[in-house]
Amino acid sequence: MTPLQKRAWWGLITGAVFTIAFLLVFFLMGGIDKFEQDATFRIIVDVLVIGGLVANLGIVNLTLRKPGMVDERDKIIVDRAPRVQWLAVVFTLVAWVIGLNEAYQKTNLIPAVFLYVMFMSVLIISTLAQCLGIIIGYWRMDRSG
Amino acid sequence: MARISNNIRRLRFDNNEMTQEELAVKAGCTRQTIIALEQGKYVPSIELGFRIARAFNVRLEDVFQYEG
Repeated sequence: MTPLQKRAWWGLITGAVFTIAFLLVFFLMGGIDKFEQDATFRIIVDVLVIGGLVANLGIVNLTLRKPGMVDERDKIIVDRAPRVQWLAVVFTLVAWVIGLNEAYQKTNLIPAVFLYVMFMSVLIISTLAQCLGIIIGYWRMDRSG
Repeated sequence: MARISNNIRRLRFDNNEMTQEELAVKAGCTRQTIIALEQGKYVPSIELGFRIARAFNVRLEDVFQYEG
């Protein structure tokens, strides 16, 4: 495994742990209604999301800047990773749009707090998908060149 | 897959059984890239090709062959 490949795995694992923690806190503490009303709840969720993103940034993206850690083959794989990120983000947005539309079609009013939650979820998915894209990139290159 | 083959493995053994790690350090790439090159799963850039040739003190054509 190359240093970047290892970092991508660690980034994915760390991201998954933070995402699970985020989901657990979010749903165990009361879900969207409580989130809208309780500032402390929002701060806890913010800390989890920002903490996960910073940890991922440190693990994966700072590796790319260290000299000797990545070579030209790694850079090709990193350049291809955004394809996976783009797909993941599009599917996430499609799921949100369909879900919100189905849930609030009758009232014709979507709570503004969903904008925040949508943005955070896209950010999380995008970060996880970057790591996944790198891992898939290595797998594909080892398989077919 | 690759229409460009190489003699990296043979050249390593001809050069005091140079390890993949040693070649990677000399050529400025990772050991995994050397493995991929030897297995014919990756075609390097011209720059890396020249760096590998220089690591063996041979010409580029002595390392890589185009099988077009």
